Amino acid sequence: MNQLKAELLKIRSTRTTIGLLLGLIALALLFTILTCTLSPGSQLLTEQDQLSLLSFGSIAGVFAALAGVMLFTSEYRFGTIRPTSLFNPSRRRLFATKVAAGVLSGLVFGAIGEGLVFSIGMMILKIRGVSILMSGANMTELLIGALIGTALWGAIGVALGAVVPNQVGAVIALLAWGFVVENLVFGFLPKIGRFLPVHASDSMMGNVQDKLLPGNAGTLVTVGWALVLSVVGLVLLKRRDIS
Amino acid sequence: MPYVVQSDSLSKRYGNVLAVDDLTFAIEAGTITGFLGPNGAGKSTTLRMLLGLAKPTGGHATVFGSPYDQLESPALRIGAVLEATDFHPGRSGQDHLRMLSRAVGLPDARVDEVLSLVELQGAAKRRVKGYSLGMRQRLGLAAALLGNPDLLVLDEPANGLDPEGVRWLRDFLRDFASGGRTVLISSHVLAEIAQTVDQVLIINHGRLVIESTLDELTARVGAVVRVQSPKIDELANALQREGIVTTRSNDRALLAQGTTRERVGDIALASGIAVHELVSEGSSLEEVFLDLTSVETKS
Repeated sequence: MNQLKAELLKIRSTRTTIGLLLGLIALALLFTILTCTLSPGSQLLTEQDQLSLLSFGSIAGVFAALAGVMLFTSEYRFGTIRPTSLFNPSRRRLFATKVAAGVLSGLVFGAIGEGLVFSIGMMILKIRGVSILMSGANMTELLIGALIGTALWGAIGVALGAVVPNQVGAVIALLAWGFVVENLVFGFLPKIGRFLPVHASDSMMGNVQDKLLPGNAGTLVTVGWALVLSVVGLVLLKRRDIS
Repeated sequence: MPYVVQSDSLSKRYGNVLAVDDLTFAIEAGTITGFLGPNGAGKSTTLRMLLGLAKPTGGHATVFGSPYDQLESPALRIGAVLEATDFHPGRSGQDHLRMLSRAVGLPDARVDEVLSLVELQGAAKRRVKGYSLGMRQRLGLAAALLGNPDLLVLDEPANGLDPEGVRWLRDFLRDFASGGRTVLISSHVLAEIAQTVDQVLIINHGRLVIESTLDELTARVGAVVRVQSPKIDELANALQREGIVTTRSNDRALLAQGTTRERVGDIALASGIAVHELVSEGSSLEEVFLDLTSVETKS
């Protein structure tokens, strides 16, 4: 618990995480206000249309993953990995603590991102007089799925940072995978692409898109990705010397 | 007396390069040991292996009888500074220390104590990017002192310090060690730490060149002691009787070859001769150091 407190202080004591949070808030507000205001009513007639619109908060996963990546890579970039390791010499415990911190920060990103998109989106739709077709169960799945999804992306980010300690390399790898590679694979080979982490975690928010996995399966697959990357990250962390 | 630090046939290989080669030494409690060698000699690699940051490819290193990472809360017994730059530039000095102190369950009040100890309390809330190199060195030292350790391990702590900073560090380390605590301090410049250390370990190309007290080192390579006395002839005779070669410097001073100040002083006292000045000079310690490491390089 002491070490988790130390990790959380690390997150709070620099401007990086606050910058990411502000970026998420700006993007969520911009997208929600523009799309909910400007989308023609004909595109908001089905439950799936509305779920699709209000699930934009899943973008918080990208920010949570970036924050997670920073937990390891900024330690290597600025050399604080040395004092950190001297105060916490068990690499296994260090890794577990950082994953826990990544999950907690992911929950915060998820709550803020999806919370903003959902509340403001619903408000605008109601003002426009659009009848809300989503059931309470759909809404719960959307919100809980977003929270769990971003928490898992926080963990995935931490693990990626342990695998690729170079900060620029890890950030590029994350963004290239999330925005290019997965979309290409899903576009051409959806039966394979839906098992990849971004699309698997998207399915956790409900039936927002055809071809995705069912929600429970998506959750399991995303957890699987987080576990696999964590194992690889931990093995590499234990094997590498800290220069 | 159990050793505080022990290195037993320690080796580290990076590809074809043997950075540390069968290094064996031990350090007793209450000493200040200079760990010397030219750049690239293997000092930092050795310290990293002692502190559990790098895995040896051969042999083993222990601190207080155990490998570092197997000690219970090692940061409460061992303080270390490996680089003067190990800080996030956007984090305040106080937060840097708090994140470390919280990791081992120390109260925030301890952070204020060590900040005061290294005279950084005025800059505690400033971001580290605004610190001078000397301030960063002191912040690193503050982090090492958080756990009130019995052993300090410092890698090139005087790098980049101005003379005032070097003096501050020297006084600080002397004060630290005066309570029976132990210091291991590395440097590539002997003169930088010669006034601080009791004993030296000199390595080159990863191998131990010499392990001795500073005085033994000085005597071993033919240092010169300049001594001034109102009875200079009698003193010269007394020294020569003890087998020490002397050369007259002027009518009140002489140079004693290949000995130490302590020995000259003891002989003068035993002979009832007053001494007005007693100074080590001749081949400087730096020359001794260069001589030892260059011999090793040639061999």
